[in-house]
Amino acid sequence: MKIESWLFVGLGIFFLIVSAVYTVVTHFEPAGSLALLLVGGLGVMIGTYLGFTARRVGSRPEDRSDAEVHEGAGEQGHFSPWSWWPLVLGLSCAGGFLGLAVGFWITFVAAGLAIVALVGWVFEYSRGDHAH
Amino acid sequence: MVSVGTVVWLSSELMFFAGLFAMYFTLRSTSGELWAAETSKLNFPYALVNTIVLVASSFTCQMGVFAAERLQPRRTGGLLRFTRWGMVEWYVLTFLMGSFFVAGQATEYTMLTSEHVTLDANAYGSSFYITTGFHGLHVIGGLIAFLFIIGRAFAAKRFGHFEATSAIVTSYYWHFVDVVWIGLFLVIYVLK
Repeated sequence: MKIESWLFVGLGIFFLIVSAVYTVVTHFEPAGSLALLLVGGLGVMIGTYLGFTARRVGSRPEDRSDAEVHEGAGEQGHFSPWSWWPLVLGLSCAGGFLGLAVGFWITFVAAGLAIVALVGWVFEYSRGDHAH
Repeated sequence: MVSVGTVVWLSSELMFFAGLFAMYFTLRSTSGELWAAETSKLNFPYALVNTIVLVASSFTCQMGVFAAERLQPRRTGGLLRFTRWGMVEWYVLTFLMGSFFVAGQATEYTMLTSEHVTLDANAYGSSFYITTGFHGLHVIGGLIAFLFIIGRAFAAKRFGHFEATSAIVTSYYWHFVDVVWIGLFLVIYVLK
Protein backbone atom coordinates (compact mmCIF):
# COMPACT_ATOMS: atom_id res chain seq x y z
CA MET A 1 0.00 0.00 0.00
CA LYS A 2 3.10 2.20 0.00
CA ILE A 3 2.54 3.17 -3.64
CA GLU A 4 -0.93 4.61 -2.93
CA SER A 5 0.54 6.51 -0.01
CA TRP A 6 3.34 8.03 -2.09
CA LEU A 7 0.95 8.94 -4.91
CA PHE A 8 -1.08 11.15 -2.58
CA VAL A 9 1.87 12.49 -0.58
CA GLY A 10 3.59 13.37 -3.87
CA LEU A 11 0.47 15.13 -5.09
CA GLY A 12 0.31 17.01 -1.79
CA ILE A 13 3.95 18.11 -1.93
CA PHE A 14 3.48 19.23 -5.55
CA PHE A 15 0.54 21.44 -4.62
CA LEU A 16 2.32 22.85 -1.55
CA ILE A 17 5.14 23.98 -3.87
CA VAL A 18 2.63 25.33 -6.40
CA SER A 19 0.88 27.22 -3.60
CA ALA A 20 4.16 28.80 -2.45
CA VAL A 21 5.06 29.84 -6.02
CA TYR A 22 1.55 31.20 -6.61
CA THR A 23 1.66 33.20 -3.36
CA VAL A 24 4.99 34.81 -4.28
CA VAL A 25 4.05 35.55 -7.90
CA THR A 26 0.66 37.11 -7.04
CA HIS A 27 1.82 38.82 -3.81
CA PHE A 28 -0.65 36.69 -1.80
CA GLU A 29 -3.88 36.55 -3.71
CA PRO A 30 -5.92 34.92 -0.92
CA ALA A 31 -8.44 32.69 -2.74
CA GLY A 32 -5.95 30.85 -4.96
CA SER A 33 -3.13 30.69 -2.43
CA LEU A 34 -5.36 29.16 0.24
CA ALA A 35 -7.14 26.79 -2.13
CA LEU A 36 -3.81 25.46 -3.48
CA LEU A 37 -2.36 25.22 0.03
CA LEU A 38 -5.29 23.13 1.21
CA VAL A 39 -5.23 20.93 -1.92
CA GLY A 40 -1.69 20.18 -0.75
CA GLY A 41 -3.20 19.42 2.66
CA LEU A 42 -5.73 17.10 1.01
CA GLY A 43 -2.98 15.05 -0.67
CA VAL A 44 -0.76 14.88 2.41
CA MET A 45 -3.75 13.97 4.61
CA ILE A 46 -4.86 11.00 2.49
CA GLY A 47 -1.27 9.93 1.79
CA THR A 48 -0.25 10.00 5.44
CA TYR A 49 -3.29 7.99 6.47
CA LEU A 50 -2.65 5.42 3.72
CA GLY A 51 0.94 5.24 5.00
CA PHE A 52 -0.31 4.38 8.50
CA THR A 53 -2.76 1.86 7.04
CA ALA A 54 0.07 0.29 5.01
CA ARG A 55 2.08 -0.22 8.18
CA ARG A 56 -0.96 -1.74 9.93
CA VAL A 57 -2.10 -4.19 7.23
CA GLY A 58 1.40 -5.13 6.01
CA SER A 59 2.07 -6.60 2.58
CA ARG A 60 -1.01 -7.42 0.47
CA PRO A 61 -1.32 -9.59 -2.65
CA GLU A 62 -2.08 -6.36 -4.56
CA ASP A 63 1.45 -5.15 -3.78
CA ARG A 64 3.13 -8.08 -5.60
CA SER A 65 3.23 -8.63 -9.35
CA ASP A 66 3.29 -12.44 -8.98
CA ALA A 67 0.19 -12.72 -6.75
CA GLU A 68 -2.74 -15.00 -7.60
CA VAL A 69 -6.39 -13.94 -7.40
CA HIS A 70 -7.23 -16.50 -4.69
CA GLU A 71 -4.66 -14.96 -2.31
CA GLY A 72 -6.97 -11.96 -1.92
CA ALA A 73 -9.91 -14.19 -0.94
CA GLY A 74 -11.62 -13.94 2.43
CA GLU A 75 -13.57 -11.30 4.27
CA GLN A 76 -12.94 -7.82 2.88
CA GLY A 77 -15.02 -5.90 5.39
CA HIS A 78 -18.61 -5.39 6.47
CA PHE A 79 -20.85 -4.58 3.50
CA SER A 80 -24.60 -4.31 3.53
CA PRO A 81 -25.99 -6.68 0.85
CA TRP A 82 -29.04 -4.47 0.39
CA SER A 83 -30.77 -1.69 2.30
CA TRP A 84 -33.77 0.57 1.79
CA TRP A 85 -32.54 3.24 4.22
CA PRO A 86 -30.25 5.17 1.84
CA LEU A 87 -33.24 5.61 -0.48
CA VAL A 88 -35.41 6.88 2.38
CA LEU A 89 -32.66 9.28 3.52
CA GLY A 90 -32.12 10.49 -0.04
CA LEU A 91 -35.83 11.14 -0.50
CA SER A 92 -36.02 13.05 2.78
CA CYS A 93 -33.04 15.21 1.72
CA ALA A 94 -34.74 15.87 -1.62
CA GLY A 95 -37.90 16.78 0.27
CA GLY A 96 -35.94 19.11 2.53
CA PHE A 97 -34.56 21.10 -0.39
CA LEU A 98 -37.92 21.01 -2.18
CA GLY A 99 -39.39 22.61 0.95
CA LEU A 100 -36.80 25.41 0.85
CA ALA A 101 -37.85 26.15 -2.74
CA VAL A 102 -41.64 25.85 -2.68
CA GLY A 103 -42.99 25.80 0.89
CA PHE A 104 -41.21 25.63 4.21
CA TRP A 105 -43.68 23.19 5.83
CA ILE A 106 -42.39 20.39 3.57
CA THR A 107 -38.93 20.81 5.18
CA PHE A 108 -40.34 19.98 8.61
CA VAL A 109 -41.94 16.80 7.28
CA ALA A 110 -38.68 15.89 5.51
CA ALA A 111 -36.64 16.52 8.69
CA GLY A 112 -38.82 14.08 10.60
CA LEU A 113 -38.41 11.51 7.82
CA ALA A 114 -34.64 12.09 7.82
CA ILE A 115 -34.45 11.27 11.54
CA VAL A 116 -36.37 8.02 10.94
CA ALA A 117 -34.08 7.15 8.00
CA LEU A 118 -30.88 7.90 9.94
CA VAL A 119 -31.95 5.83 12.94
CA GLY A 120 -33.05 3.02 10.63
CA TRP A 121 -29.76 3.07 8.71
CA VAL A 122 -27.44 3.30 11.72
CA PHE A 123 -29.20 0.54 13.67
CA GLU A 124 -30.01 -1.73 10.71
CA TYR A 125 -27.30 -4.24 11.70
CA SER A 126 -27.80 -3.86 15.45
CA ARG A 127 -31.40 -5.02 15.81
CA GLY A 128 -33.96 -7.55 14.64
CA ASP A 129 -32.46 -10.54 12.80
CA HIS A 130 -29.01 -8.92 12.95
CA ALA A 131 -28.97 -8.25 16.70
CA HIS A 132 -25.68 -9.40 18.12
CA MET B 1 -11.80 0.09 4.65
CA VAL B 2 -14.44 2.23 6.36
CA SER B 3 -11.64 4.28 7.91
CA VAL B 4 -9.89 4.96 4.58
CA GLY B 5 -13.22 6.03 3.08
CA THR B 6 -13.81 8.36 6.00
CA VAL B 7 -10.41 10.01 5.56
CA VAL B 8 -11.02 10.49 1.82
CA TRP B 9 -14.37 12.11 2.63
CA LEU B 10 -12.75 14.29 5.31
CA SER B 11 -10.22 15.50 2.75
CA SER B 12 -13.15 16.73 0.65
CA GLU B 13 -14.46 18.46 3.76
CA LEU B 14 -11.07 20.16 3.98
CA MET B 15 -11.71 21.63 0.52
CA PHE B 16 -15.16 22.79 1.66
CA PHE B 17 -13.52 24.77 4.46
CA ALA B 18 -10.82 25.92 2.01
CA GLY B 19 -13.58 27.75 0.15
CA LEU B 20 -14.73 29.41 3.37
CA PHE B 21 -11.18 30.44 4.35
CA ALA B 22 -10.63 31.81 0.83
CA MET B 23 -13.85 33.84 1.11
CA TYR B 24 -12.81 35.22 4.49
CA PHE B 25 -9.34 36.27 3.33
CA THR B 26 -10.59 37.75 0.06
CA LEU B 27 -13.12 39.97 1.86
CA ARG B 28 -10.52 40.84 4.49
CA SER B 29 -8.02 41.98 1.84
CA THR B 30 -10.60 44.23 0.15
CA SER B 31 -12.09 45.88 3.28
CA GLY B 32 -9.34 46.28 5.87
CA GLU B 33 -10.94 49.20 7.76
CA LEU B 34 -14.17 47.30 8.27
CA TRP B 35 -12.14 44.37 9.69
CA ALA B 36 -10.27 46.66 12.10
CA ALA B 37 -13.54 48.09 13.41
CA GLU B 38 -15.49 44.83 13.67
CA THR B 39 -12.82 42.51 15.07
CA SER B 40 -12.40 44.83 18.08
CA LYS B 41 -15.88 43.70 19.18
CA LEU B 42 -14.74 40.08 19.52
CA ASN B 43 -14.40 38.69 23.03
CA PHE B 44 -11.05 36.88 22.87
CA PRO B 45 -10.90 35.33 26.40
CA TYR B 46 -14.44 33.98 26.00
CA ALA B 47 -13.62 32.34 22.66
CA LEU B 48 -10.36 30.99 24.08
CA VAL B 49 -12.17 29.16 26.90
CA ASN B 50 -14.60 27.71 24.36
CA THR B 51 -11.69 26.63 22.17
CA ILE B 52 -9.89 24.95 25.06
CA VAL B 53 -13.03 22.94 25.87
CA LEU B 54 -13.35 21.80 22.25
CA VAL B 55 -9.67 20.85 22.00
CA ALA B 56 -9.91 18.98 25.32
CA SER B 57 -12.94 17.10 23.97
CA SER B 58 -10.68 15.65 21.26
CA PHE B 59 -8.53 14.11 23.99
CA THR B 60 -11.53 12.62 25.82
CA CYS B 61 -12.75 11.32 22.45
CA GLN B 62 -9.38 9.63 21.89
CA MET B 63 -9.65 7.99 25.32
CA GLY B 64 -13.01 6.63 24.12
CA VAL B 65 -11.27 5.27 21.01
CA PHE B 66 -8.69 3.46 23.14
CA ALA B 67 -11.56 1.90 25.11
CA ALA B 68 -13.32 0.91 21.86
CA GLU B 69 -10.10 -0.69 20.60
CA ARG B 70 -10.02 -2.72 23.82
CA LEU B 71 -13.64 -3.65 22.90
CA GLN B 72 -14.76 -2.25 26.24
CA PRO B 73 -18.09 -0.42 25.91
CA ARG B 74 -18.85 0.26 29.60
CA ARG B 75 -16.92 1.13 32.75
CA THR B 76 -15.67 -1.61 35.06
CA GLY B 77 -15.31 0.57 38.17
CA GLY B 78 -17.25 3.37 39.83
CA LEU B 79 -18.44 6.42 37.87
CA LEU B 80 -15.62 8.63 39.16
CA ARG B 81 -12.82 6.12 38.48
CA PHE B 82 -12.18 7.38 34.97
CA THR B 83 -9.20 5.03 34.49
CA ARG B 84 -11.76 2.21 34.32
CA TRP B 85 -14.09 4.01 31.92
CA GLY B 86 -15.35 2.36 28.76
CA MET B 87 -16.12 3.96 25.41
CA VAL B 88 -19.65 5.06 26.42
CA GLU B 89 -18.48 7.12 29.41
CA TRP B 90 -15.72 8.86 27.43
CA TYR B 91 -18.07 9.59 24.53
CA VAL B 92 -20.77 10.97 26.84
CA LEU B 93 -18.14 13.31 28.33
CA THR B 94 -17.04 14.32 24.82
CA PHE B 95 -20.67 14.92 23.89
CA LEU B 96 -21.14 17.21 26.91
CA MET B 97 -17.99 19.18 26.08
CA GLY B 98 -19.07 19.53 22.44
CA SER B 99 -22.50 20.71 23.61
CA PHE B 100 -20.76 23.25 25.86
CA PHE B 101 -18.92 24.56 22.80
CA VAL B 102 -22.10 24.89 20.71
CA ALA B 103 -23.96 26.56 23.58
CA GLY B 104 -21.01 28.91 24.12
CA GLN B 105 -20.98 29.80 20.46
CA ALA B 106 -24.72 30.50 20.47
CA THR B 107 -24.21 32.81 23.46
CA GLU B 108 -21.34 34.51 21.64
CA TYR B 109 -23.62 35.06 18.63
CA THR B 110 -26.21 36.81 20.80
CA MET B 111 -23.50 39.00 22.35
CA LEU B 112 -22.19 39.98 18.92
CA THR B 113 -25.69 40.57 17.58
CA SER B 114 -26.30 43.04 20.41
CA GLU B 115 -23.21 44.88 19.15
CA HIS B 116 -24.67 44.98 15.63
CA VAL B 117 -22.48 42.29 14.13
CA THR B 118 -25.13 40.40 12.17
CA LEU B 119 -25.23 38.11 9.16
CA ASP B 120 -26.65 40.80 6.87
CA ALA B 121 -24.93 43.87 8.38
CA ASN B 122 -21.76 43.89 6.27
CA ALA B 123 -19.06 41.72 4.70
CA TYR B 124 -17.44 41.03 8.07
CA GLY B 125 -20.68 39.83 9.65
CA SER B 126 -21.39 37.56 6.69
CA SER B 127 -17.94 35.98 6.64
CA PHE B 128 -17.82 35.61 10.44
CA TYR B 129 -21.17 33.86 10.71
CA ILE B 130 -20.76 31.74 7.58
CA THR B 131 -17.33 30.38 8.60
CA THR B 132 -18.07 29.82 12.30
CA GLY B 133 -21.68 28.83 11.55
CA PHE B 134 -20.75 26.08 9.10
CA HIS B 135 -18.18 24.86 11.61
CA GLY B 136 -20.86 24.89 14.31
CA LEU B 137 -23.16 22.83 12.07
CA HIS B 138 -20.34 20.30 11.68
CA VAL B 139 -19.95 20.15 15.47
CA ILE B 140 -23.71 19.54 15.83
CA GLY B 141 -23.44 16.79 13.20
CA GLY B 142 -20.64 15.25 15.25
CA LEU B 143 -22.77 15.40 18.40
CA ILE B 144 -25.58 13.53 16.60
CA ALA B 145 -23.01 10.97 15.41
CA PHE B 146 -21.82 10.46 19.00
CA LEU B 147 -25.41 9.76 20.07
CA PHE B 148 -25.69 7.11 17.33
CA ILE B 149 -22.37 5.53 18.34
CA ILE B 150 -23.41 5.42 22.01
CA GLY B 151 -26.78 3.99 20.91
CA ARG B 152 -25.04 1.25 18.92
CA ALA B 153 -22.93 0.36 21.96
CA PHE B 154 -26.10 -0.01 24.04
CA ALA B 155 -27.87 -2.01 21.31
CA ALA B 156 -25.05 -4.55 21.01
CA LYS B 157 -25.05 -7.53 23.34
CA ARG B 158 -21.48 -8.25 22.25
CA PHE B 159 -19.47 -5.10 21.54
CA GLY B 160 -17.33 -6.11 18.57
CA HIS B 161 -15.31 -4.67 15.69
CA PHE B 162 -18.49 -3.50 13.95
CA GLU B 163 -19.22 -1.10 16.84
CA ALA B 164 -15.55 -0.22 17.39
CA THR B 165 -14.97 0.70 13.73
CA SER B 166 -17.83 3.19 13.65
CA ALA B 167 -16.64 4.67 16.95
CA ILE B 168 -13.13 5.11 15.55
CA VAL B 169 -14.21 6.79 12.30
CA THR B 170 -16.49 9.13 14.27
CA SER B 171 -13.42 10.16 16.28
CA TYR B 172 -11.59 10.92 13.00
CA TYR B 173 -14.42 13.28 12.11
CA TRP B 174 -14.32 14.89 15.55
CA HIS B 175 -10.56 15.44 15.42
CA PHE B 176 -10.92 16.92 11.95
CA VAL B 177 -13.63 19.36 13.05
CA ASP B 178 -11.44 20.25 16.03
CA VAL B 179 -8.41 21.00 13.82
CA VAL B 180 -10.57 23.13 11.51
CA TRP B 181 -11.70 25.11 14.55
CA ILE B 182 -8.07 25.70 15.62
CA GLY B 183 -7.49 27.13 12.12
CA LEU B 184 -10.63 29.26 12.29
CA PHE B 185 -9.75 30.44 15.80
CA LEU B 186 -6.25 31.51 14.76
CA VAL B 187 -7.60 33.32 11.68
CA ILE B 188 -10.61 35.01 13.26
CA TYR B 189 -9.55 35.71 16.85
CA VAL B 190 -5.75 35.87 16.73
CA LEU B 191 -4.87 37.13 13.24
CA LYS B 192 -8.02 39.31 12.99
